[in-house]
Amino acid sequence: MSSPAGTPQRSWRPSTAVRRAIAGERIDLATLLARRVIFVAGKGGTGRSTMTAALALLGARAGKRVLAIDVDAKGDLAAALGSPPAGFTPRVVQHDLSVLELRTDESFQEYLNIYFKVPRVTRLTPLARVFDFIATGVPGPRDMLVVGKIAYEERRKERESRAPVWDLIVVDCAAGGQVESHLAAAKAMLSLVRGGIIRAQVEWIDGLVRDPQRTTVVLCALPEEMPVVEAIELHDRLRKGAGVAVDMCVLNRAVDEPVTAAHRRLMKALVDPEHADVVVQQLGGAPAPLEAGIDLQAHLYDTTARYMRMLRSKLPMPVVPVPFIVDRTGLTTTRAVADALSSRLA
Amino acid sequence: MSTADAGPVPERRRSVRQDAAGLGRRLAPLDVVICCGSGGVGKTTVSAALGMAIAAAEDKRVLVLTVDPARRLATALGIKGIGAEPVRIPKARLHRAGITITGELEAAMLDMKQAWDRMIERYSPDRATAQRILRNPLYQRITDSFVGSHEYAAIEALYELHDAGEYDCIVVDTPPSRNALDFLEAPSRLTDYVGSRLLSLLSGGPSRFGFRAMNYAAAPFLRLADRLLGAEVLAEVSDFVQQLQLLYDGIQGRARSVYRLLRSPQTGFVVVTTLEPGPFSEAEFFCTKLREFKMPLRAVVVNRVLPDVFRDAGGFAAATALVDDPKIAAWLSQELHIRVSSDSARFIGKTYLTRTTLAQREARQLAKLSRLGEVPIVRMPLFSEEVSELEGLVRIAKTL
Repeated sequence: MSSPAGTPQRSWRPSTAVRRAIAGERIDLATLLARRVIFVAGKGGTGRSTMTAALALLGARAGKRVLAIDVDAKGDLAAALGSPPAGFTPRVVQHDLSVLELRTDESFQEYLNIYFKVPRVTRLTPLARVFDFIATGVPGPRDMLVVGKIAYEERRKERESRAPVWDLIVVDCAAGGQVESHLAAAKAMLSLVRGGIIRAQVEWIDGLVRDPQRTTVVLCALPEEMPVVEAIELHDRLRKGAGVAVDMCVLNRAVDEPVTAAHRRLMKALVDPEHADVVVQQLGGAPAPLEAGIDLQAHLYDTTARYMRMLRSKLPMPVVPVPFIVDRTGLTTTRAVADALSSRLA
Repeated sequence: MSTADAGPVPERRRSVRQDAAGLGRRLAPLDVVICCGSGGVGKTTVSAALGMAIAAAEDKRVLVLTVDPARRLATALGIKGIGAEPVRIPKARLHRAGITITGELEAAMLDMKQAWDRMIERYSPDRATAQRILRNPLYQRITDSFVGSHEYAAIEALYELHDAGEYDCIVVDTPPSRNALDFLEAPSRLTDYVGSRLLSLLSGGPSRFGFRAMNYAAAPFLRLADRLLGAEVLAEVSDFVQQLQLLYDGIQGRARSVYRLLRSPQTGFVVVTTLEPGPFSEAEFFCTKLREFKMPLRAVVVNRVLPDVFRDAGGFAAATALVDDPKIAAWLSQELHIRVSSDSARFIGKTYLTRTTLAQREARQLAKLSRLGEVPIVRMPLFSEEVSELEGLVRIAKTL
């Protein structure tokens, strides 16, 4: 393990795979899944939980032991994996794939338990409330609980073989900018905690988070202005502020089938009054409303293309469109997203 | 695609009231209009359009107060930028874009830090206390990350603007909260927070670490915190907490006046939502809560609704035939005298059926809104252009 205790802050440089991708090649799935921790970030409603679940499925399919972590603990991630709400201990959802949900209260107890051997007792709840107050104001602790737990899971070893318990950890970050404070938490703590027991731990966590070989971020966006702008801004802040690598941006709900001249020609012929009677009779209904479908498709295709261009010009990384999937959320959707992702990253 | 549940839904009884026209007119007599809803449902756009509709309906001075990154709103309103200082939207410009306003329309963006600083200054018993709080390194963190702090700043700014009486009507675009309720609960939460026993506990007495006189229940924690964070941090916390308590009376008094304003018959809430499951259930919940808090809900604006053309029985039959009938391409080629590939036929059918499925899901969601009782529901169609131009905004304002 490369523990950069005391090393000066490094500025982030893209890994070879990413540099190749920037140069025109695409990042391959194997490179992405070879990371130890993938943080999935993006504005609320951009399909973050489904993307986290899809990456976890792909990891498991590649034979890795995967842990999916929900930082928001709204149960969305577990649902996307077809599982009932999980808890603070990893719940196995399928072979080689577990899910866990973080909550501040439990995180706090676990933190005390892991790092200070304080037994887990219910009496600690009022303390957790006091902690909660301080944690709101002091940079670091609350975010450290999250990152600390992730780092702890990353470091966990099997008792006998000493092999890592997880090959890959995929994290569904809380909405908006919270991922930054999580990822920058260790850095912030380093400036705050000048000594004390946890200094070494914080340094170690900081080393993990800022090692582009081990930790990366996948951004999620939708073909709409605000999600795209936020993804671009988040990328800048993550790289400059937190010094964390970003490997890929996913544009969810992409409409990637254009309306062609042939489609338009056929549509025009279908509604041509000259053939109206026979067409209606043959099709069992008047086809005029279908034109609205074509127009909407054309518009959404253009919108997708516009935002793909915008993301590609602003983000030095592969931007992967994932098509709009009509199903409701759940494992079916997750599988469809995983398939779409793997076919585009193959 | 699965078409199992895709039979066209017959046109529902009008359980959902369509009161599109006239929302602007109906809201115009109010002093304050608050737009709430989940992030990403188009709250900012709706707020701007409402402001426009109100200024068009009556000769009033209207301010749209936004908290979102205002670039887009500025673009949509056809002006360069919006800051904390209100900017007037030129009437001539609006007129050219297709709407004539009799009143005046201005827009401003909330400056979160400024709002908080002013609040601290206002509630502090003296300048020294204010300075001490503003200089505390924890202050900025707390105001940034305290649940509801943005909401509170928005409410404060609204209250001040309303109090100053410069505008006849203020339309507020609320912050993109995780929980829409944060807005309503912010004042009481801040009061509870500042007045809590927890804080009394923490503020202790000014001894070496500021915690000497500490209740013994918290002692193990503080020993731990001391080990974790070091004494300096704890001293900062302690100092901050002590100062903050001096503000309690001011904050509590203001919270009461703020709730009076929010409950006033001169105030109206407009809940904005899309028909996606997440934002929708949030909106329903919020409407129930408004009623519980006795705050006046004036309308629900349902944004980005697929037009009725996607629920047409004939269209559904035709699209299904294009997708399912293997001989359709050949038949069309012969009848229409053009070359028709089966891919093209299927594509046209499929694009329609995809939207049909979504439109039906939306119809089921819309029907649920009747549970909210007698509230005007305004449906805003999914426009096939994005609203980034003044013309687009005007078009929306006109549906309101």
